[in-house]
This record gives sequence, C-alpha cells and structure tokens, in this order.
Amino acid sequence: MSWRRVRLLIWKEFLQLKRDRSMLPIIFIMPVLQLIMFGYVIGTDVRDIRTAVVDRDGSPESHLVVDGFVNSGYFKQVATPTTDAEMQKLLDGNKAQVAIIIPEGFSDSVHAKRATQVGIVVDGSDSKTASVASGYAGQVVASLSRQLYPTPMSSGAGGVDARVRVLFNPTLRSVNTMVPALLAFILMMSTQMTMSQAVVKERERGTLEQLFVTPIGRAEYLIGKLLPYVLIAAIQITLVFTVGTIWFKVPFNGSLLVMGSGLALFALTGLGIGLMVSLLSRTRYQAQQAMTFMMVPSMMLSGFVFPLESMPAVLYPLSYLIPLRYIVVIVRSNFMKGSGFAALWPQFAAMALFAAVVFGFGLSRFRKQLND
Amino acid sequence: MRFPWQKSAAEMCPAMPAADAAHAIEVHGLRKTFGDFVAVNSVDFNVGHGEIFGFLGPNGSGKTTTIRMLCGVIAPTDGGARVMGYDVCSESERVRENIGYMSQKFSLFQDLTVDENLKFYAGVYGLSDEKFAERREYILTMADLHGRENEMTGDLSVGWKQRLALGCATIHEPKLIFLDEPTSGVDPMARRQFWELLHDLAASGVTLFVTTHYMDEATHCNRLAFIYRGDIIAEGTPNEVKGALMRDTILQVEVDDGEGALAALEGSPGIGEAYMQGSLVHVNIGERTAAEADLPGLLGELGFDVHSVEPVEPTLEDAFVHLVTRQKEASS
Repeated sequence: MSWRRVRLLIWKEFLQLKRDRSMLPIIFIMPVLQLIMFGYVIGTDVRDIRTAVVDRDGSPESHLVVDGFVNSGYFKQVATPTTDAEMQKLLDGNKAQVAIIIPEGFSDSVHAKRATQVGIVVDGSDSKTASVASGYAGQVVASLSRQLYPTPMSSGAGGVDARVRVLFNPTLRSVNTMVPALLAFILMMSTQMTMSQAVVKERERGTLEQLFVTPIGRAEYLIGKLLPYVLIAAIQITLVFTVGTIWFKVPFNGSLLVMGSGLALFALTGLGIGLMVSLLSRTRYQAQQAMTFMMVPSMMLSGFVFPLESMPAVLYPLSYLIPLRYIVVIVRSNFMKGSGFAALWPQFAAMALFAAVVFGFGLSRFRKQLND
Repeated sequence: MRFPWQKSAAEMCPAMPAADAAHAIEVHGLRKTFGDFVAVNSVDFNVGHGEIFGFLGPNGSGKTTTIRMLCGVIAPTDGGARVMGYDVCSESERVRENIGYMSQKFSLFQDLTVDENLKFYAGVYGLSDEKFAERREYILTMADLHGRENEMTGDLSVGWKQRLALGCATIHEPKLIFLDEPTSGVDPMARRQFWELLHDLAASGVTLFVTTHYMDEATHCNRLAFIYRGDIIAEGTPNEVKGALMRDTILQVEVDDGEGALAALEGSPGIGEAYMQGSLVHVNIGERTAAEADLPGLLGELGFDVHSVEPVEPTLEDAFVHLVTRQKEASS
C-alpha cells in the first residue's frame, strides 16, 4: 500500500470532479433543493401506533379506556410499564410512540361523576405519526367520555378530559423531523450515486483497465476512489445540517458523536451498494437506472417520507431490509430527543451488520470481477 | 486485496520453471476459461529481448485475454508465464512495475491536461522529480506536444492522443511494452509515424508485444503468432508464416463484378479460398498451375468479364485466411 499513489488518485479525482460541469450542481444544489422540497410533505393515515399503557387504577373502568384505544384500530398496546421511568425508556428507545396514563382513582371519579383525566404522551420526533396520534387520541377519549358519563353534564363540570402532551417536538413542525431524516437520505443518494457513477465512468473510458496494468493496487484504487466521495458527502451533510438548524431553525438536541457514527456506518453501506451497482452495470446510464430503481423502495419503506405504521402489513417486513429505515430512526431520535447508544443500540447493530455485509460483498465482487 | 479466508498468491499459482534470461516473455501452457468457454487454450510461446512480436487474430480469438494475463491483471486458469523474469501470477505487482501497456482506447484521462496525465503516471511509477523533468521533456518532444502541455487531452487529435498514450505507458522506461491494437482508428499518416516510434524503441533494446489486425503492420514484426479461437495456429517470422502457403498458388483476379465472381468461385471445385483484396479477388487454387485452374474460362462461362489473372506472392493476409479456413475445416 503506497500512500503516494493513493494521494495521486485523490488529486486526479478532484481535478476531474472540478471539470465535470454536471457533478458540481448535483453536489451542492441538490441537497438544499431537497431540504426545501421534503420540508413540507403531508402525512397520511396511521394505524397500529405502538402504545404503552400505564394503568395506575386497574379497575373495570380503566380497562374500558384501554380497550377503547385498542379497539379503535389506531393504537396497539405493546407494553405496560408501571413507572414513569420505564415509560420514558420505552419512548426513548422508540419501542412506544404513545403512552396512555390512567391516573389512580380514575374509577372513583367516574363513579362519583367527577371530571377526571387520561394522560396521553406522544413522541413528537415523527411529527406525522405524532399529530395523527394525538388527533385520534382526542376522538377516542371523547367517545369514551360519552360512554362513561351517559348523562350530559354542564360544560366544564365533568367527563374525561384528554390531556395530550407532545414530547420533544411540541410544535409538530414537519421540518423538524424531515431535516434529520434528510441528512441520512442525502448521504445515501450521494454515496450511492457518485460512487456508482465514478467507477462505471472510469470503466467506460477504459482508464480502469489502464490503471490496473500499472503498479496501482486494488486497495489503493478503492481508497483513492472512496475518500473523495466520503469527503463530499461530509460537506453535503454539513451543508444540510447548517441550513436546517439556522435557516429552518430545527433544534438540535443530540450528540454529534452518536449521529456521526450512525451516519458513518450508513455511508459505508451506501458506498458498498454504489460499488456493487457499478460492478454490475456496463454503462453509466444502466447504473443510474439501477439507482433510481432502488431509491423508490428506500423512500417508501423506510419511514423517511411515510410513517412505517401506515404501511400495509404485507409490506411491513420488507422495511427491515431497508438500511435507511434504521438510520432514519437514529438521526431523528438523536436529533430531537438526544437518544444515545443505550437507547439506539438495536438500530446501530442493524446498521453495522448492513455495512459489513454490503461493503464486504462489494469488495469481494470487485476483487473477483477484476480477476476474470 | 485479500481476505483471510482466501488463498495467497503462492498457494493459487501453479509452479513455474525457473526463469530463462534469454526471453522477455515465456509462456507455458497458459490457459483461461470463463465457465465452459475456453478463451485461451493452453498456449506456449516465447518472445526474445528486443523483438517486435506481432500477436494476430480476429476479434474474440483470445488476444486481449492473453495480454491481460501476461500483464498480471487477471490470473490464468492453468499454466503460467514469466514476463521479464517474473511469474505473472505470483509476482504480478513486479510484472506491472516492469512493463508498459497501451491499449486501443488510448486510456488517458480525457478531462486532465497533457501535463496532468504525465504527472499522474510519473507519480504512479514513482519517478523522482529530476527523472520526471527529463522524461517529460523527452515525451513532449517525441509526441510533438510542446506548447500543448496545458491543453485538455480530450481535445487533442487522435494521432497526438496516441503518441501521448505511448509516452505515458513508457514514462518509466520499461524494457517491455504491450500494445493492444495501438493504431486502430488512426489515419495512415499517423500510423506510419507511430511505427517509426516503435522501431526507434525496438532499436534501443525494448521488447514490443503488439496486437493488430492490420496485416500490413504485421510485416513490421520480427516474429508473429496467429491466435484463433484460443489456439495458436501459426508462429514464426513473417516469411515462415507465409511458408504455410509455399506449395499453393495465389491468383489475383481483376474482374468487373468482384463480389459476384467471389460468390461464384467459393462454391467451385478445386478452389481453396477466395476473398476480396481491395477491388481484386484473391483465389487460392491449391497446388495446381494457373493454366490448369483456367479461371478466365471458368468465370467467362459464368458470364463474368475477366480483365486479368496473374499469380502473386502470398501475403500475410493470404496466409491468415488460409490458416483460418484450414482450422475451420479441421474442427468441423
């Protein structure tokens, strides 16, 4: 391995990039354009919202409330924590998106025909799910209230009052959830696109063939090819982050370390996919088509644009195969809630697995293809 | 690049006989298959130092695959070769340091300037600054590119690109250069100039391994090998190769309707091969004399207007067509 040769390759790559009139706008204008476009996507129907139930009353009346939520079809009970700390952990780890808290003495109040409350905590880091969930919760509680208090009361004097509190993203601005996800999406676009285009271009022009009859080793070539695009991706992400936090005023509550390591793992996956596509494509046009083909499921099945909960049950398992799914959870949770490695380790594990498999496979294909 | 569970080069490569200093290239049973397809079928040949060795064959016959194996880019399926004394399989990096390679596509970076291309390849081969300055001057003079150092390579004419590609491939002064169809798509004037450069290189002791499908270019070579469907079907000096036709007579026929005459002759008894050579028809009549074959009579009967028929010295192209036809007959 000669760093002199790697440096030469990087120098060459940047010279070529500087002269490529079509690449520069893509690199710097595309991320900002997407930031503007995706900042205002409208949410859709949400079902089976993961719900934690804190039942401090344990009475037939409180069960009625829980059943009312579950039977509505919008909420799915996934856990029954007993303490606030446990509930917080579920929300942080993204295991629950909504928590329903039924206070002690709920049934006594109902029997005494006194006004009472049901607490509803909504994770606002996915704003569409959050806004839809809080809306549904209000409806469910209103209908329960009619059931539990058959005789209408004078206004303000009784009934069950839903107190909805949206955590982390109190204003439910969609841009607050889009900007973090866009970081991941743009990273995916840029690593996959540029990487696949760059290698295919070199092969189309015959320079790849020329390079491998020189003493340049395969590892040197790959590093010389990867590093410039990693650097470009880093610049793009910084651009989106800066525009997002300053112009769109998205609050950043997370840690750069957690987000950075997630994005780094994801970049490795993207580069691996780009490398594989470039090895399987004969022309740049083919590579571009393959990328577009893969982009659609990534956007649809990752929870990036549409909430995973709004997906048909048949398609839902497919989402586990989309690397973007995990990184979107990581950046959103970290950006808004400041969730750390402790809460996000399953996503990190999935990302690491993807990076190892995809990048490893890309490398071995690369090696094999050149041997034939 | 190698993963821990993969075999090392030494484990994968078949053992090779000790290096023979007399040869720049020694090929021993070199074979490459892709699945069931045999691209190169266990070929053997040697190339001496300072030779211009012509490697001829139709497209898809295994020329490029052979070159890629000799350059250490792809590993042979079986057999092996030594290039400048290094095993192409187990010492491929040494091989690549000691050879120059120029392909038909002039694989320079089109979006880099002349100077940037030179600087890149000088760096790749690890030239010192002084050496680079010296070689740069030499190449700019050789390729007639003085004053164009900062032009974009893609904007140069084909002849210039070709000479710059040769310059980049020889920037480290290799003793052996592989040229894969270096003159395809180049005008005749530039081709002639290019061959002058190659002769100068050969005169300075450099070995040249050239593939071409221009038969007139093959006469520039000291020795030739014909490869057809993965097999070497003839090897030797141009005269030895033409000797394959020693007992056959080639007649050159000038006729009004060349294509029609060709079609008529191909089916006739006693005609070995017939093919167009420019506007003339070349006919191999085997061991018969021109009088015995009586082409004017034969073609006259069929209604062709024959202007002249005369015996000609067999050319390399005649030999090539003959060898390929014989090979096709043998395999069918």
